[in-house]
Amino acid sequence: MNKLTRLIRGEVKRLVKYKILPVSLATAAVWIGLFLFISAKEAREIAPLLIFVDVAAMSILLLGASHHLEKQDGTIRTMMVMPVSLGQIITAKTAASMLLAIESAVVTAAALYLIHGATFNYALLLLFVAIAGAAHAAIGFVLSLNSKDFTTMLGLLMLYMFVCTVPSILFSFGIVDAKYEWLFMISPSHSASHLISSAVRGEYQLAMIIAGCLYLTILAAALFRFAVYPKFKDNAARG
Amino acid sequence: MGTAFSVKDLHFRYPSSSEDTIKGINFDVVEGEIFGLLGPSGAGKSTTQKILVKLLEDYRGGIKYFGKDLKAMGHSFYEEIGVGFEVPVHFTKLTALENMQFFAGFYKSTANIQELMERVGLWEYRNMKVGEYSKGMKVRLNFVRAMLNNPRVLFLDEVTNGLDPKNARIIKDMIAEYRDQGGTVFLTTHLMNDVEQLCDRVAFCVDGNLIEVSTPRDLKLKYGKREVKVEYRDNGAIASAVFPLDGIGFNEEFQNLLKTANIETIHSGETSMEEIFIIVTGVELNEQANQAD
Repeated sequence: MNKLTRLIRGEVKRLVKYKILPVSLATAAVWIGLFLFISAKEAREIAPLLIFVDVAAMSILLLGASHHLEKQDGTIRTMMVMPVSLGQIITAKTAASMLLAIESAVVTAAALYLIHGATFNYALLLLFVAIAGAAHAAIGFVLSLNSKDFTTMLGLLMLYMFVCTVPSILFSFGIVDAKYEWLFMISPSHSASHLISSAVRGEYQLAMIIAGCLYLTILAAALFRFAVYPKFKDNAARG
Repeated sequence: MGTAFSVKDLHFRYPSSSEDTIKGINFDVVEGEIFGLLGPSGAGKSTTQKILVKLLEDYRGGIKYFGKDLKAMGHSFYEEIGVGFEVPVHFTKLTALENMQFFAGFYKSTANIQELMERVGLWEYRNMKVGEYSKGMKVRLNFVRAMLNNPRVLFLDEVTNGLDPKNARIIKDMIAEYRDQGGTVFLTTHLMNDVEQLCDRVAFCVDGNLIEVSTPRDLKLKYGKREVKVEYRDNGAIASAVFPLDGIGFNEEFQNLLKTANIETIHSGETSMEEIFIIVTGVELNEQANQAD
């Protein structure tokens, strides 16, 4: 088993042991329960929002919880003196965070099919969730690395959601006129929301999808390279 | 024996600081020795150790690790070193054995986990979550973690802090055995008992500078008083007399006292490492311990 695989397995094992994955599954189960009481059309309307909340908010929250638990345990520092690269450590943590986002998408998609017989392009949804998940994992890292404890991180997350996520949710409820959507795409949350909604509803605006994918990919790469990578080591060294 | 670390004119400044934390220090750590870095809190000991284990890299000056530039060393460097941090560094929701197996999985060469855990008295508690361990058990597990990869150089920070005398003795015996088998140890501590019992050489770090690098024996000779103090019974009461060490064999008063008095103790004026620490650093050890807390 190579070192990256071993790191990812360790991260997933800790997601279970630290009750992060079970909590995520329990949240998804609540959403499934909701599907039992609404129509197929309503379910298809609301499903993207549920997946989006897990990708854009829950994954950041769980990544922050995991980061601050590990910081408290001192394990980030000891991992920095193992024969693995910083890139491998960050990749493993990002993969674990994306697993939570993908798990939510899979559970929601399965519930839609089993309860309402609704199907859609699963491969495209997984691709979009992966792109949005990576960007939001990077945002989660930035928030975690710039907060001294989990409470501070929650404050930063609330601020991020107020600025980026809430407007997108308002947009999805039709409160904001659709002609302003290009403007909203600056928000990583809205780009993620647009991609996920497109895949679940089967409504594709090619230019917006390409823009959303490119923006989130470039944002993720830039954040990992310039904000996460240098700060992570500094954070570990200072303890 | 080679030189494990050769440090030349090392400077380091934290990005948030306006002045250097490490101000041009020079020292060598010889392969097979236990080298102690001592000094008050904030003197630069931990920063020096973090630089040597490559947690901090933006330093000025030169560091050679067995003749190779430390900056040029890749991740293989971590195959060769073991780091025992002062604070516990384990996943608290995993058992001790799960922790050790996880960390061991990343090394090409690994020690026998059972043997190490048995030696420090933790094997019977291997399936207990680390979060349920006492402070002393976590300290012992930290030591096992540091020894997991059969390191060539071992970095230990306050390795016996929080241990009872019996367990501290076990850890010190293991460190001495490791050194006797050719291992090199870089030890930072404020526990002078550990220094006296373990270190082959020590360096005192004060305000980012190294002001003494020597053996404990030479330091004791340098800072000790060259005198002999004799305590004896005189009409039931305890009396004492002090004689100069130089020419003691020809000192008639001293010899006469030995022949006639009921001698209770004889001590040379050798000073303790604790006294040397205070003289060299100008900081009281209890003050230092309070700062560390």
